[in-house]
Amino acid sequence: MSGSTVTEPPAPNGMEGASASSAPDGETANEARAAELAKLASYVFFLLGAGVFFTVSLGLPDSRWEPLGAGSFPRIVMGFLALLCVLAIAGSARRLARIGLPDGLARLSGAAFVEHRLVISVFVAFAVYLALMRPLGFAISTFLFLIVAQLIVARRTLKSALIALVVAVVFSFGLNLLFAKVFLVFLPRGILGGLLG
Amino acid sequence: MMDSFLLGLSQILAFDTLLYMALGSVAGIVAAAIPGFTVTMAIVLTLPLTFAMPPLQGIAVMLSVYVGGYTGGLISAALLGIPGTPSSVATTFDAFPMARNGQPGRALSLGVWASFFGTVISTIVLVVAAPPLAAVAVKLGPWEYFSLIVFALTIVASLVGASLLRGLIAGAVGLAIATIGPDPMMGRPRFTFGVEMLAPGLPFLVVLIGIFAISQLMSELEKPDAVRAEGSLIPKTIEFHTFAVMREVLSRPINLLRSSLLGVFVGAVPGAGGSIANLLTYDQAKRASKTPEKFGTGIADGVVASEAGNSATSGGGLIPLIALGIPGSAVDAILMASLMVHGISVGPRLFLENADLVYGMFIAMAVSSVLMLLICTLSMRYFLRVTEIPKYVIVPVVTVCCAVGAFALNNRITDVYLLGFVGLLGYIMKRLDYPLAPLVLGVILGPIAETNLRRALMSDADWSTFLTRPISAALLAAAVLSVAWSVRSHMKRRRAAPAA
Repeated sequence: MSGSTVTEPPAPNGMEGASASSAPDGETANEARAAELAKLASYVFFLLGAGVFFTVSLGLPDSRWEPLGAGSFPRIVMGFLALLCVLAIAGSARRLARIGLPDGLARLSGAAFVEHRLVISVFVAFAVYLALMRPLGFAISTFLFLIVAQLIVARRTLKSALIALVVAVVFSFGLNLLFAKVFLVFLPRGILGGLLG
Repeated sequence: MMDSFLLGLSQILAFDTLLYMALGSVAGIVAAAIPGFTVTMAIVLTLPLTFAMPPLQGIAVMLSVYVGGYTGGLISAALLGIPGTPSSVATTFDAFPMARNGQPGRALSLGVWASFFGTVISTIVLVVAAPPLAAVAVKLGPWEYFSLIVFALTIVASLVGASLLRGLIAGAVGLAIATIGPDPMMGRPRFTFGVEMLAPGLPFLVVLIGIFAISQLMSELEKPDAVRAEGSLIPKTIEFHTFAVMREVLSRPINLLRSSLLGVFVGAVPGAGGSIANLLTYDQAKRASKTPEKFGTGIADGVVASEAGNSATSGGGLIPLIALGIPGSAVDAILMASLMVHGISVGPRLFLENADLVYGMFIAMAVSSVLMLLICTLSMRYFLRVTEIPKYVIVPVVTVCCAVGAFALNNRITDVYLLGFVGLLGYIMKRLDYPLAPLVLGVILGPIAETNLRRALMSDADWSTFLTRPISAALLAAAVLSVAWSVRSHMKRRRAAPAA
């Protein structure tokens, strides 16, 4: 754990655990341009999504009992979302025209990839964990995920490996047993069937 | 009323309930003391454990986690200068310098007492304000409810994040997500695209866990070197001076009362939670002070204001939840979900149909604050070790707990897959500077908004009724004003900023 002091409070978001992430301090102008381009891409993505949902909603049946059918509210929402996205795209395009497009996008992407290597690795491990949960069961897949994720994040020393092993056992087999015996909630059993509680 | 009160009281004062509440307080304090582990996550992880409990007991336990969580954040804020939760950011401004100046025990005790009094004051306001508001709310029709939800979403989008437009987009994306699955009136499937796991819709709790908890956990891994660095800054000996500090807090009645009432108000506004209250109350205390230059150097007024403010949001947040059925924050949404799990619908009729539960919640708030105070004053020194748990343990373990929480909700493994997908979406949106609160509120309020809109138009197909009914018109006008105010503030900021 770092012991550094907090000098810049995060932007309040109004809900726990969801503080708005603003651009990091010392961000270069080029990174700001890349960030704006990424935001523009997100607006386009949501606009396309709104378009697809709007189109699909046209096929939903009307109701004989009420003025609005199953598709009306989604159409209102998608129309509103599309309008917001168009406004955001226009604003973002204006901003990009003013500040210019980022240089060396491939290099920036590479740097971002390196900076986020832990996040990406743990997300991949989490995806594999979810995929294995049904066939292997909760206890085994959780044990493997905890071992792998802790070793990805921690400095690889004998101490951290031992801690990882203990934590993995407690929060996989132990948690499985706790839920089965105390809360009567049976987590996915997989190949071990009912052997673990 | 008295019967309901006594029934609620007897349920809360049962030995097993008090025991679980004490454990909940400990869990909340411990969770919030760990940087990166938020009150929301603590509540999310508590939820599946309460499924087997009677409704009031389950809610009481979650409230104790809630109250404990608002206090726990001050531990790492004071001792490490790292806010344990977003709602303890301003606490670091004076509590940390005070601790560095050789008074860590005083900083912690000030925070604990301020939190206690803030929670008590907010509970009193809750008891006084919620019943009359609910009595009015019972008379609201679908027009008013729909307009109220529009207002709630616009005010959340206006209040949070750096960009109103991105806030509104996030809210609209939440509403869009809410349309996936069966139509709330007729049950017709919508937007499932042949994918079986989308047929029942996206459970809002799974969305909430993914959006907040998973995205926050992944954010904790963004700086590999900081994550891998270990070490403790906690001094070995700490003197708390509990009762001397209590007198010190009570010797600042105006600061305490102003911060608490401001915290209650902020808590009652949908979307504006502890993090905003914490900063706002600190700012107000500084403005009102005769010696504002001393703020930030380690003075008691700063700690009292910030901690009383964030703790008071706990009672404030329950006002719209109990009186109107509208969750003001993620935590309130989870409380609402836990009631729904027990087959209890939240809203103004809660007072009529489950008065004992409502009074029980009021009593639970008061009892939780006392438990938090006792636990903190008696065993604070042991909690301090929690801040030493390395992130490489915390992040994977909490991720697993989130998966368990998502699964335990409906015993569906597809919900766990959804959790992973939504977590990724939440993380990407967070990185792109979208506020996440409007998105989650959109998911929660979407079905309620659609149901009320369709009911309103079934009663009277004329859309202008939304503008001719006074309360509905006032709420829609307030929604327009909140957006206009936000746009105006944005314009002013842009004009004030030097040209790029």
